[in-house]
Amino acid sequence: MDEIISEFLVESYEGLDQIDQNLIVLEESPDDVGILKEIFRTLHTIKGTCGFLGFSKLERLAHAAENLLSLLRDGELSMSAEIADALLAAVGDIRGILATIEASEEEGDPDIEAIVVRLDALASPDAAKAAEATPTEDAPAGAEPTADGDAGAAAPDAEAPAEAATADGGADEQLAETASADPSAGDAETGAAGEIDGTIGATDADEADDRDDDADARLGDLLVEAGAAGRTDVEIAAAEQSLGDQREIGKILVDDGRAEAKEVEEAAATQQKRSVADSSIRVDVALLDRLMNLVGELVLSRNQIIQLASDGDNGGLGPPSQRLNLITSELQEGVMKTRMQPINNVWAKLPRVVRDLSRQLGKNVHVEMIGKETELDRTIIEAIKDPLTHIVRNTVDHGIESPEERAAAGKPEEGLLLLRASHEGGQVNIEISDDGKGMDADRLANLAVEKGVVTPEQVARMSEQEMVNLIFKPGFSTAKQVSNVSGRGVGMDVVKTNVERIGGTVDLKTERGVGTTFKIKIPLTLAIIPALVVSCDNNRYAIPQVNLLELVRLEADDEKNRIEDLHGAPVYRLRGRLLPIVDLRDQLGSERVERESTNIVVLRADDHTFGLIVDSIEDTEEIVVKPLGRQVKDLNLFAGATIMGDGRIALILDLMGLASEARLLEAGTTEGKTVFDGVTDSHSTVLDDRTLLLLGLGEQDRVAIPLARVERLEEFPSTALERSDRRTVVQYRGKIMPLIDLAPTIGYTNSAFYDNDRISVVVCNFGSLTVGLAVDAILDIVSHAEVLENVSDDFETVVINEQVTDVIDATSVVSSVLPIPIPQDEPPLAATSFDDLDSAVPAPTGA
Amino acid sequence: MTKGNQMLDVSTTLNQLCTFRLGPLYLGINVTEVREVLLQADVTTVPHADDVIEGLINLRGQIATCIDLRRRLGIEPREPDMVPIHVVTMTDGEPVTLLVDAVGDVVDVDPDTYETPPTTMDPNTRELILGAYKLDTELLLVLDLDKITSVGPGGGHKGEPS
Amino acid sequence: MTETAAPTTGAATQLTAMVIDDSRAARTLVGNMLGKLGFNVVAAEHGQDALDKLIGSDDAPAAVVVDWNMPVMDGVEFAREFRKQAKFKTTPLLMISSESDPRRVASALLAGIDEYLFKPVDSEMIRERLAMLGLRVGEG
Repeated sequence: MDEIISEFLVESYEGLDQIDQNLIVLEESPDDVGILKEIFRTLHTIKGTCGFLGFSKLERLAHAAENLLSLLRDGELSMSAEIADALLAAVGDIRGILATIEASEEEGDPDIEAIVVRLDALASPDAAKAAEATPTEDAPAGAEPTADGDAGAAAPDAEAPAEAATADGGADEQLAETASADPSAGDAETGAAGEIDGTIGATDADEADDRDDDADARLGDLLVEAGAAGRTDVEIAAAEQSLGDQREIGKILVDDGRAEAKEVEEAAATQQKRSVADSSIRVDVALLDRLMNLVGELVLSRNQIIQLASDGDNGGLGPPSQRLNLITSELQEGVMKTRMQPINNVWAKLPRVVRDLSRQLGKNVHVEMIGKETELDRTIIEAIKDPLTHIVRNTVDHGIESPEERAAAGKPEEGLLLLRASHEGGQVNIEISDDGKGMDADRLANLAVEKGVVTPEQVARMSEQEMVNLIFKPGFSTAKQVSNVSGRGVGMDVVKTNVERIGGTVDLKTERGVGTTFKIKIPLTLAIIPALVVSCDNNRYAIPQVNLLELVRLEADDEKNRIEDLHGAPVYRLRGRLLPIVDLRDQLGSERVERESTNIVVLRADDHTFGLIVDSIEDTEEIVVKPLGRQVKDLNLFAGATIMGDGRIALILDLMGLASEARLLEAGTTEGKTVFDGVTDSHSTVLDDRTLLLLGLGEQDRVAIPLARVERLEEFPSTALERSDRRTVVQYRGKIMPLIDLAPTIGYTNSAFYDNDRISVVVCNFGSLTVGLAVDAILDIVSHAEVLENVSDDFETVVINEQVTDVIDATSVVSSVLPIPIPQDEPPLAATSFDDLDSAVPAPTGA
Repeated sequence: MTKGNQMLDVSTTLNQLCTFRLGPLYLGINVTEVREVLLQADVTTVPHADDVIEGLINLRGQIATCIDLRRRLGIEPREPDMVPIHVVTMTDGEPVTLLVDAVGDVVDVDPDTYETPPTTMDPNTRELILGAYKLDTELLLVLDLDKITSVGPGGGHKGEPS
Repeated sequence: MTETAAPTTGAATQLTAMVIDDSRAARTLVGNMLGKLGFNVVAAEHGQDALDKLIGSDDAPAAVVVDWNMPVMDGVEFAREFRKQAKFKTTPLLMISSESDPRRVASALLAGIDEYLFKPVDSEMIRERLAMLGLRVGEG
């Protein structure tokens, strides 16, 4: 595709999308000159560019629309419903021509006379006056009445007066056809063409009464197009109709032996299909929202009536209330559907994006789409447009290899990009997968370190999946990497944020050499979402189902399955994984209660999986999301509210907010970060002596320390470390805390102060003395370690996860370097050069 | 509705006030700002909300925020057995109810009797009052609805007035 | 509608127009034409210069006339940047150039140029084009 033409298409489509929106705004505030100017500019650009690109029909159409707009802009005309309709129709036709250009680089031979005449008529003050003055009831005899009633009656009559088009209702639809039949109403040159047009066009109004007349799919034309009937035959048949023949045009043709019945049927089917698109009308979304609210109200009333009906003597209320129930449900569904659009509205633009991009990159990519018809709420469609486009660009840019590479890898030269959408329990799954080279976790991790997104230390603790997920981190794709290809300055982090903003999730699966799949899960609609309703402290709360992983119920007398309270950090062992636990009561500021059984809702928010304890779990249901008033909407914990069946309100929990309020998310402050706090919470310690904290020293070595000995686990940025009196210390809770580098102190060769941007510290108290043991990593908390040998009372060796591990005694370790309680000496230093020290880390020197 | 230069024009634009009582105070807001009065409502509390927020109610499918006017104005809490009345207003397209003790009549006021809020008032309360009408028997204070409803993180309300 | 009608020279305040051209002669020439139409004229030497002057300033010009070929930032690039600014979304932007390759001109229009005038131009041409864009100035 020619670059300028493609730029023209992109620019024009964008402009037209904007016009669509602007026209709707205009209907609200018809005097908004700013918006009129914007619309005008878009059409003006299209017109001007067409002139230079040689698309004369499109130029003419854009000019007619632009001309009408300039009159509005200059206040010589005021906005009216018919002008808006005509402009929308024109935009529709322009789109049609653009689509042709997109397909063939030529504008083809579009029929624009009708719309141009319609626009010109509206722009001409005389025509406008004439239209106002002339009543409509004189629709010619012989016209078959249509669903619209008399004004919209199809006029299969070339004599139909142009003035039949009037200001009221659907009558203006008539203008296009009838006006073109009357040369005096429009350009003289359109007369001849318009006549045929009017005749044929009118006939098929019988077939599809209520369709819009722009983007016509006329049966006669279709037959001619398909070679199923001759143009002349169609014209004759149409003429017969105009003389009062009541038969449909297809029937006339078949009866006269001018066309095959089968082909007429096919054409009719095609027409039906096309007219589905043509028969749509525009409705302000605000109106739909209002309808939605009213339906919500209706649901409530219904529930009350059903309640009444079920109360014993109901005076025959039963059957009607059942019927009310059904109708209400259907109505609710219907109103919801009005806001739905197929995902193809977004996808349709992607093949072209892929084509242009792959050509630019010298790649060969085939796009396949499954589930185009999958419907989503329009607000969601809007919201996923950019994220989808970005992922697709990213895939073509980074995922799919060049034909040469592919050939070398034994793959077909043409890469595959598969888009798949499907519904799944009130949610929509969208997958973008490719058969490209997959992602190199190590390379991504290195890149992330290079860009300062993560530290090498953090990377060292990461699983491969976590490394791959680094592409979603802010700062990963920065300007340096963003070519004009992969993104207009946005990275995958924005993709993730945007998807999460609408309550969705993005997952990434990649296999080297095989390909990558992005899986986006989003709610069907923002207005109605499936949710789990829970209760806590006598209030109900809704949890969006998209965050829900599973439900766990623990009985109080079950010794094996219980929440372990590790010095105030409650965790639950879910299939071997430690799940941080948050009590919703704590988050809501309610008092804690003793529970007979504990309900844990296992949730995922922003890559963090955690368990939320609630008082009870009620039900899953579809809830209508309502915004909160400005006085409360900034609260982190709540994303909105909903009205339950009984008319009461339930707040919708914002899981991201909740996770961050509960400090489950990384804080990223320069302050030391409390990993867990053993002091603040002592009401239910289930720790026994056998619970061990597993610590990493260097890359290989590990030791354990009884958790009972540990006050807190902290993390300090290496920059917070200070040298004081030949010791390494850190400011901690308003005091100076000495840090002991654990590894060299107990005879290992490495040091926690090396290569770590953030130092993990085990805080222990010895009377008045608080000491921090610096380690490379805090690995795990284990409760049932098998004791191998008891070397002494305070030193033993155990087996943890099939690995032999030494258990150290904090007191003896600390007293070996810091006489308790008066600290004075320094741990002996390991013989390691300081050359590779991070300059920010103060050197813990000996001698 | 209550924007801009109302401060200047208030004496001429506010002719009819919907009045209500709150402890010792006789208060009013422009009658055009009152949508309805609810004698009872099922209020859902909002944890962590500003303490002047009583909670939320379902107002025919819309969520309305309820502001306890006593706490908002910093006067002593109502007796526990006293059921507050919700005066429903609309600000910036969002329904907000004000919890008051009792609703009075709609009062026609004489612009000539309009004056600035008494300087003897608690400054925190005074800030929420547009002005006062001197009636025969008492002083009718006109609430600044915009300021009253500006509560929360972006609203600038800073806790309990002392 | 009437109270928001397009400005005219009859208006109490004089409208400003900006001319962007690297050639001083051209600046003077086009500047004179704009002045004749009643504009208060400001000038910039190239696209970047213009952006610097426009973005920092509170005064938005009523129209901008720009050359194509200029050092630092050419007219097309300027058009793109100019349109990115919300306040200049619909400001009439005229380009004067001798570039006649229709496809190149098309690309300029796509970049945000409203009207393209082939050299040579006169004030009447500018007035006409501006009127088409809804900005009525000068006599006529």
